[in-house]
This record gives sequence, C-alpha cells and structure tokens, in this order.
Amino acid sequence: MRAPLCALALLAPLRVFAADVLHLYNWNNYITPDTVARFEKSCGCKLVQDYYADNEEMLAKLAAGATGYDLLVPTGNAVENLIQQGALRPIDRRLLPNLKNIKPEFMGEFFDPGNKYSVPYAYSVTLIGYNVEKMKERGIPTDTWAAIFEPRYLERVKGKVTVLDSQRELMSAALKYLGYSVNDVDQGHWKQARDLILRAKPYWAAFNAASYIKELTVGNIWLAHGYSNDMFTAAQDAKAAGRKFTIGYSTPKEGAVLALDSMVLHKSGPRPDLAHRFMNFMLEGRNSAELTNAIGAGNPNADATQYIRPDIADNRAVFPDKAALARMEMLHDLDRRLRRLLNRMWIEIKVR
Amino acid sequence: MIRLRAESITRSLVTGPPFLFLFVFFALPSLIMVVASFRYPGEFGGLAPLAATRPGEDAGLTAENYGVFFGDWVYFQILIKSFGVALLTTLVCLVMAYPLALLIARSPKRHRDFMILLVVLPFASNFLVRVYAWMIILGDQSIFLRPVNTVLAYLGVEPLSLLFSGFAVIVGMVYVHLPFMILPLYTNLEKHDPVLLDAAQDLGANAWSRFWRVTFPLSLPGVFSGAALVFIPVLGMFAIPEILGGKDDWMVGNMIKEAFLGTRDWPFGSMLSIMLTLAVLAVAAAAAWLARQGTARA
Amino acid sequence: MRRTWWLWGASLATYAFLYVPLTIVVLFSFNDSKLNAEWVGFTGNWYRTLFGDEAMLGAARNSLFIAVTASVAATVLGTMAGIAMHRYRPRLLPFMVLTPVAMPEILLGVSLLVFFISVFGEQSLSLGTVIVAHVTFCIGFVAIIVRARLAGMDESIFEAARDLGATPWQTFRLVTLPLIMPGVIAGALMSFTLSIDDFVITFFTTGAGVSTLPLQIYTMIKVAVTPEVNAVSTLLMALTLTMIVIASRLAPDALRGQG
Repeated sequence: MRAPLCALALLAPLRVFAADVLHLYNWNNYITPDTVARFEKSCGCKLVQDYYADNEEMLAKLAAGATGYDLLVPTGNAVENLIQQGALRPIDRRLLPNLKNIKPEFMGEFFDPGNKYSVPYAYSVTLIGYNVEKMKERGIPTDTWAAIFEPRYLERVKGKVTVLDSQRELMSAALKYLGYSVNDVDQGHWKQARDLILRAKPYWAAFNAASYIKELTVGNIWLAHGYSNDMFTAAQDAKAAGRKFTIGYSTPKEGAVLALDSMVLHKSGPRPDLAHRFMNFMLEGRNSAELTNAIGAGNPNADATQYIRPDIADNRAVFPDKAALARMEMLHDLDRRLRRLLNRMWIEIKVR
Repeated sequence: MIRLRAESITRSLVTGPPFLFLFVFFALPSLIMVVASFRYPGEFGGLAPLAATRPGEDAGLTAENYGVFFGDWVYFQILIKSFGVALLTTLVCLVMAYPLALLIARSPKRHRDFMILLVVLPFASNFLVRVYAWMIILGDQSIFLRPVNTVLAYLGVEPLSLLFSGFAVIVGMVYVHLPFMILPLYTNLEKHDPVLLDAAQDLGANAWSRFWRVTFPLSLPGVFSGAALVFIPVLGMFAIPEILGGKDDWMVGNMIKEAFLGTRDWPFGSMLSIMLTLAVLAVAAAAAWLARQGTARA
Repeated sequence: MRRTWWLWGASLATYAFLYVPLTIVVLFSFNDSKLNAEWVGFTGNWYRTLFGDEAMLGAARNSLFIAVTASVAATVLGTMAGIAMHRYRPRLLPFMVLTPVAMPEILLGVSLLVFFISVFGEQSLSLGTVIVAHVTFCIGFVAIIVRARLAGMDESIFEAARDLGATPWQTFRLVTLPLIMPGVIAGALMSFTLSIDDFVITFFTTGAGVSTLPLQIYTMIKVAVTPEVNAVSTLLMALTLTMIVIASRLAPDALRGQG
C-alpha cells in the first residue's frame, strides 16, 4: 500500500514561485483565455484566477475574512457594500490613462460617485430568453414580463418556463411588471409582487439560475428568465448545434435590472501595481471588446465599439438605446432588516 | 497491575488523537457558530460585533433568531418535508443496496474485490457531472424518454415530465448515496456465518424465513449504519434539489444555503443548521434506543 | 453458496442503475458538442483541451493530493475512534465523532473558515486548511463503519489473545486489525470519495489560488458543463481504478476479510 501512496505524493502541486502574480477573483468565463494570455505577455506576470458564480458567494467568502485577492469584479450593489465596509483600496487614476475610454453614462454611478474605487468592466441585463418558434406558435408576447407572470399566457407553455433562482432578480421583475422601482421597499408593494409570483408559480417548471442556457438550447424549456449574456450564448449554441429553432431574447418594455460589473481593488491585495496595469489593459478598447464578442456582454467602453462584431453591436438587448436604458435600473443593496424580510417572503414563495 | 496500566495507556493512546483533533477542529469552530446563532446579522453580511461600536447599533447576544424559527410554522414544514425526502431516499437505497450487498458477501472471495470496486468506481468521478448526467437521462428530449412519451402520446396520455420534479430529486439522491448504504451493509453481511443459515434450513425454514429471521436481524447494525450515512447527508443537501428539482422541491439545505450565500444572514443560517443538527441527533438517539430495545428482546 | 435468480437479477438491476449515468458521462466525453445534452458525434478533442487546460489540471492535482492525504489521516484517526467507541465506550467521543456527519456541510465549512482566520490569521487559508477540513468530516464515516464491523464480533477472540499474553499492540496488530480490515478499507474508500467530491466545505476553506476539481466544475455550470468535464471525470475514474488495482495486488486479502 505504501508504494503507490508515495508515488502519489510526488504529484503534489508545486507552488508557482513566479515573482509576479496577480490574483483575480472573477465571475466564471468573464475573461477570454486570449485576453489573459496577451495580458500576461504584456506585463511579464502571471494571472491567477479564482471564480465565483454569484456576488453573494464572493461577499460571503470575503465577509468571513478570506484574503489574498488583488482584484474583484463585483456588481454595483456589491461594490456599494464593499465600500461601506471599508474593504476596498482607492484606485490611482494616474495609473489609468485609459479610463477616459468609458462612456460617460457609465461613470459616477450611485455606488461609487466619482469612481474613487471602481472601474466599469462590463454589464448585463436581466431579461427573458425564449424559443422564437414556440412563442410565435403559442401566441406569447415576448416584449413584456407578462410572458412569465400572466396565467393566460403561462397556461399555453405550462411546465416549459423557468425563472431565476434569485430573490432580488425575481422580485425586481415582478415589481417592474407592477410598475414599481426595483429598489422599492414598500412592504405593501412587496406583498403585491409576492402574490403575483405565487399566482404564476404553478405554471413554472423550476427556479433555475444555472442550467437554463442548456435547457433552452436543447429544447426542454421554451421560456427563461435570465441574463443577456447567457441568452447570447444559448442563441449561439443553438445555431452551432443546428437546431430547428432559434433562441431570441428581449428586454421587456416595463423595464429591467441592469447589472454593471466593475473592477475594484481589495485592500488585502499584495500587488496593487499589477492590478492597475490589468485595469488599464482591460480599459483598452480591443481587450474589452473580446469579452463582448465572446459572450455578448454589454460594453461600457466607447473605444471598444470599433472592435465589436457588427451583429452584436446592433443587438438592442446587449446595447440598449437611450429610451430602453432609461427604463432600466441598477439594484441597490438592502440593509439587513430588509434582507431578512425579503428572505422570509422568499421562503414563503418557495414553499407555498 | 502492569496489565491495568498498559490497558489505560492503550485507552489514552487510542482515544486521545481523534478526540484532540476533533476538539480543536470541530468542537471549537462549532462553538463559535453556536454563539453566532445568538447574535445579530452584520450590516453588510456576516455577524454583528459583540460590543456595539456605534450607538443604536444592534450588538451582543439575542435569541431573536430562534424566535423567528419557532414563531412560524413554515420552517417546521420544510424540515418535515426534508425528513420525508431523506426517509424515502434511505428506504429506496436500502431496498436497492441489500440484494447487491448480499450477493457480494456471499460471492467467492476472489470475486468480491472486483464487485466492491464496481460499486465504488462511479463515485470516483465528480458528483456534479453525475447529477448532470441525470439531467440528460430525465430531460424531455432524452433518448430514454422520447420513445416512452411517443407511446404515451399515442395512447392519449399526458407525456411524462421527469426532470425538475420530486421524482428527479429522489433519483438523484438515491444515486449519489447508494454506496453509503452498500458498503456498511456489506461489511456486516460479510461476517455472517453460513452455518446459521444451514441450521435454519435443516430446521425447516424456507428461503424467505431464513432471510427475515436470521440474516436481516443479524444485519441490523449494518442497516443502521448505512441508514445513518444516507439519511443525514441527504437532509443537508442543496445541490441536487437545486439542479434536478422543480419549483416545489425546496429543502432545508437550500434554505440554509440561501441564508449563508444569499441573504448573508449568518445568525439565521447558524440557527437553522443547529436546529437541523439537533433534529438529526434526536432521530439518531431515538433510533439507537430502538435498536437497543430490539437487540435486548432478540 | 446459495444464489437464487432473484438475487442476481436485483443486483444486476442495481449495478445497471449505477452504471447508466456513468456510461453517459464517459460516452459524452467524446461528444462533438459543447453542450452536455445529446449525442452529436465522436471526437477526442475534449481530452486535448483538457491537457492544455492548466487551471483544470492544477485543480485535479490538488483534488487528488487532498483526497489521498485526507483519507489516510481520516482512516487512521477514524479507525482509532471506532475501536475506542466500541471498546471503551467513552461518553464524549461518540458525540464529537458523529456530529460532523450530522451537521450540514455549510455550517462546518463556515465555522472552519471563521476558526482558521481568527486563530491562525488571515493568510492561513491554503491547501492545508482544506485537508484539515476534509479529515474532520471524514473521521465520522470511518468510525461508523469500523464500529459496525466490530459490533457483533466475538469478544472471546480478544480475551483469548490477552490470556495468551499478547500486549495490546500485538492484539491490535495480529488480531483486531486483520478482522476489521474490510471496514477500514471501506472507510478509506469512502473518505477518498467524499474528499475528492467535496464542494461545500472546500469552497469555504481554500485559499486564494487553490482550487479543486469540484470548485472548478461548479464555476463552469453557468456557462456550460462542457465535455471537458466529462473527460476529467473519466480520467479520474481510470486513475482510481488503477490505484485500487495496484493496492489489491499489494494487499490482496484486505477486502475479503479474515473472519
């Protein structure tokens, strides 16, 4: 027994003793391997990534005291949270000459007026994706949240609809449909939203945050509440797989949640110098455009437009026009009492 | 005298290391979390400080988390449903595992290694990948389901929708926990003396009688071990209901995960976990007591 | 050796149940489609991708190292605990051994994270902390199995050994250990499996830059569990198979038991 065990010990991971290592804590698949390779070559350093699938996961890990990350890429409300906690290091604008590339409408957001801590990276919209042919066949309108909330439409696609398994996202969709703001904290409005959700729930197949891309592409699901870059991927995959149907996606006319992800420096990061180089690198239009071309991520970089594939640049769901943008909102963080209230409501939604 | 000293040294040597390890790496951390269940949630997530650093801030200890649990029937409801799922999974595992464990135990020694290997091998792959494989098998478009549904459609019956359902959750749970039932059962059955069965047969017992009155009672410690190793993890699971479950398949594990990773309400999550742990320990104690009654009567 | 047809039939059905999804996993590792949804065509590309995927390979190496180390430690400590619980019936030990099994993994993970950081400081999360965490939850499984094996064993054997003048160590080495070996091996296998597959506890206790296979795969779920993941699972199974075959050559009587 001993010999094979010794052999296995030799497989033990060798520490990477690279002198220059940058630790990036990022969403999965939020930077292409080509971009990483080019960055590593340009700075002569190594980029080590850890991944999270959800802001909350990242915040939970950081709240417990995990350290060692130079850069994070949180969404707006998470940035707000981190700034208030004092967990971030201010950015040094002198090291970011490319910051001017960001479109002005994405600078100075509520979570960091003055952009003292954050540099915009990419954005996505929470909308509905669908099987175009099936929606037409069943006569379901695809430009409104009614598609996932109204029983008169849902009964035609019963069991073929999924919604996001996220408290804030689902409540936001309901609130928007009812005509309220996504950051509305009026309990009466919340109760209305809850009832709307409970009325629609019997027709839904599942609360699904992960595999709806695949399910749409395969044809198990015909209508999904999800993120714009996921729907882009689903549409690409369906085409690549030669499906007889197409996947479409659109932002409902009542409005939607816009999620702007920004690069921030964690105060415990050992290499802020490398972090600034990375941020400046990603602020170059060419590098920023790579992500958009790969996953259809919204791009706040004006310099990137020339490098973006025309079909994506023309896609109103990825690059909304001014009118649509005005109807979109970013999520603000809730304080702990409201989080608890929402959680209680969520449990009710899940159980009833 | 020397024998007694050797005995007590041995006792310390054997009991000591595991006890020490678990004390440091389990008991102490758990104590931290037990205290956490009596604290307020932090403003940004995590825990509020024990001493107030700003006036008007909630700090210190409180029983409000437990008040929330006992003040609302919905938590009990989820707990009971989760127990139901766990119980069903355990029973199905038992029924599926027993014949296999029996077969392996009674096979010639040279075959047993291989048969055990076959049991354990699937579980050297990755949990998520296996669960995803079930999504493929149970999805509407799967090659297994499509012919079945075509036939059903022909007969005018509603097509089966197996994915995103309680059925899928149970299948996934059973699949993932089966070896935890097979292995303990096997290690117990393996030491049954075949002479006992021969004796029973000579006394006129038929096959079922031999099983039910000789084999099964002797195997009870293995059954209970296996049941414990299935029932308990199933209770805390969230991944399978999340991936394979439908809108009505939320379990207590999902609720706990939501508390830690969704609402960032650690005190609430700690409280729920402790309630779950206590419930499990209560069930385990009851089962152990029943087992002792059973063996006392045997 | 009584083998009736129903025993064989039921057993084969259980084996089939175990292996159908597995076959899909292995088969789809050759699937010429990015999605893990239905069969499109045959390709070995995913294995090529895998061998170029430094992140995935690193994670796989970590997983293996952690699993081997943790299962060895857990088996040793768990066997000791199992024997102790059976022989000496201590009052506190069963509780400490069994509660980690009863506790939801999330609580264990979070509590260990908080513990490591408050006791050992902020930079302490690493491969070591993951291994310690894994050992903690595996000990209980080994102890339960070993204790079940000991329960119902004829105590007279141990008494006979002692009467013949054997020291406790000799009794253990020549009598107890061979008798409980199937339990110990089963416990070791269980620990290895649990460790290599663990997501929740690992998630909370890894340091920056330390990833394991389940963590790596979980973060891929959103986008697509591409067949590359199937490829790594297939290879992992092949590796485990090889390890077990080697082990059985070196210790052939281990699983068959001496009782």
